[in-house]
Amino acid sequence: MLEEQAAPAPLAAPAEAAMPKKATPLRTVLKFARRKPLGAIGFGLVFLLAAMTVGTPKAEFGSPSLPDRPFGFELGSSWLARYGEEDKFYDVSGRLNRLASPSGDHWFGTDNNGRDTYARIIVGARRSLFVGVWALVVATLVGTTIGVISGYFGKWVDTIVQRFMDALQSFPPLVALILIISINPLSSGDKSSLLVTAVILGLVGIPSVQRITRGVVLATREQQYVEAGRVIGATDLRIMLFYIVPNIMASIIVIFSTGIGVVILAEAALSFIVPEKVPGGTSWGNMLADANSRLGEKPYPGLFSAGAIALAVLAFNLAGDALRDVLDPRLRLQ
Amino acid sequence: MQQYIIRRILLNVLVLFLVATMIFGALRIDSDNIVSKLRGQCAAGGNDEKQLQECDRITRLSLGLDGSVLSQYGDFMWDLVRFDLGHSAIGNKDPILDEIKERALVSVELGMLQIFVALLVALPVGIVSAIRQDTWIDYFLRAFSILLLGIPVFVLAVIVILLTGRYGDGTFLQDWLAPQGTYADFVDPFGWTRNESDPWQNIKNMFAPAVIGGLGTGAVIMRFLRSQMLEVLRQDYVRTAWAKGLRERVIIVRHALKNALIPVLTLVGILLGSIVSGNVVLENIFRLPGVGDYVVFKIAQTPDYPAVQGVVIVVALTLVFVNLMIDIAYGWLDPRIRYS
Repeated sequence: MLEEQAAPAPLAAPAEAAMPKKATPLRTVLKFARRKPLGAIGFGLVFLLAAMTVGTPKAEFGSPSLPDRPFGFELGSSWLARYGEEDKFYDVSGRLNRLASPSGDHWFGTDNNGRDTYARIIVGARRSLFVGVWALVVATLVGTTIGVISGYFGKWVDTIVQRFMDALQSFPPLVALILIISINPLSSGDKSSLLVTAVILGLVGIPSVQRITRGVVLATREQQYVEAGRVIGATDLRIMLFYIVPNIMASIIVIFSTGIGVVILAEAALSFIVPEKVPGGTSWGNMLADANSRLGEKPYPGLFSAGAIALAVLAFNLAGDALRDVLDPRLRLQ
Repeated sequence: MQQYIIRRILLNVLVLFLVATMIFGALRIDSDNIVSKLRGQCAAGGNDEKQLQECDRITRLSLGLDGSVLSQYGDFMWDLVRFDLGHSAIGNKDPILDEIKERALVSVELGMLQIFVALLVALPVGIVSAIRQDTWIDYFLRAFSILLLGIPVFVLAVIVILLTGRYGDGTFLQDWLAPQGTYADFVDPFGWTRNESDPWQNIKNMFAPAVIGGLGTGAVIMRFLRSQMLEVLRQDYVRTAWAKGLRERVIIVRHALKNALIPVLTLVGILLGSIVSGNVVLENIFRLPGVGDYVVFKIAQTPDYPAVQGVVIVVALTLVFVNLMIDIAYGWLDPRIRYS
């Protein structure tokens, strides 16, 4: 042992010049960008999306509601938005400036009601992102719990839980969403119930989350350190919480980031197809539906909202893929 | 094999039972809310308390929400076993099963065409991408599939329609990419549900949704097939085939592809759910009179709960059944599965 440490010592001095530079955060980021260019683009877009939601926070705490109070305090209007999303614009002769082409005043043009498309995209970002985050909080919390319990105990517990999950998965997701949202007594159109929509979107995602976690738990359960824990008399709860869960954290993070893209897509699809059933307010899906009903007119509001949905979904896919490659190569096969 | 089939069938019967129970429960989470939403359907003049109560009583009766939960459950299951889905709660109160039957063909056709397009794209692309791994063509094809994965099907559909409507109006593009007919114009290829029969017009109507949906599904299959092919190509028996001096085409098609395709079959089964989901939106956008369009129509204004419930039951049953078929085919193709 000592000899091993002593031997390389004389060599250390000349080799110093070739030593890798100290890992500063900036260098780590650059290294990541060089190795995973697509992932870096994805993360860039995710940060852009997050930046769109940032506004001056107000210090009043309360129960969270979407889209303006995602974590219990109000975010204020977005710093990136130039106008309010409901502001209407008129041309010099006083007529509504509807369906204007992109220009210096209106970067993305205006919609049919003379509202600034850029401002509406920014507001829609807040809704999409926070619905995604909340849904995934629900889906990963519940899904991981079910997956860990089912995978850890195995036997009849596993059989019963998995059959339930099979049953849940045999509903096509969108049809299930439409059914649940139409039954849900809370979705009557006020802002607070957007949170309920987010929770429902999360619930629908539980089967796929638990399937992935369960697979990882099945592999982890047989590891020697888990056996060691059992030998020293750790309870099942302790083993699950402190032995298994830390080891599946990487998978959970990957599921979380990929899942947000899926939920953004589902929310957009819902507000596109059944706008009457989803809580009101500006959303990318609504904007797209609005544009879709005006065929043959200028396509800008439609193209920009479609682009926003596609970029957001692409961003979370790319970021999730890169995270998976870096954090947990095991998942690649699934 | 027989034992395997029996085991799969029993498991799926259990799943079906759970599916039915969940649907039963869903309508009863907040039945008062549902009944009150349907009030407009029978309150013909006069809104006094007595009439409303009578109205609610009739609604409850027609939805099967009367009596104890246990007897409701018994009735519900008995109806299901006889495949009686009841009547629509609003409008003409048509039998739901007939309505679904009338629209099912359109949805099935769209789904089949999509899977066909998906395989047509995914097979060559996945194979080429795997045997030319890490060349520029592989990078190009993978970037293409990532892009397709990122763009949601309904977004792509709306973009295509918007651009066709703006720049391709009146050209042949409009016929193919954005046919703006009404439901009455829809032509059924076999003339089973409509009187006309014009296969060419039908293909025109189906072309855009089938290709758009198929590309999205194809992107997933392609990525999966590529990784399967890469794995199989590294197996010993493939190396043996090379060593024997077989031609590349024989090795790839007969040795590698055959084995790489088996897991793809399961993937198609898993993807069916999202194909159905995607088609709900595509049918709506392209105005195809399918089951998906029906369910959206039934939920949009006054929610027609029995109809929505009926569609969910039929779709879930179909998915479970198709996946059972795939399971059995899988066991038949890959003997290792049967004995595990």
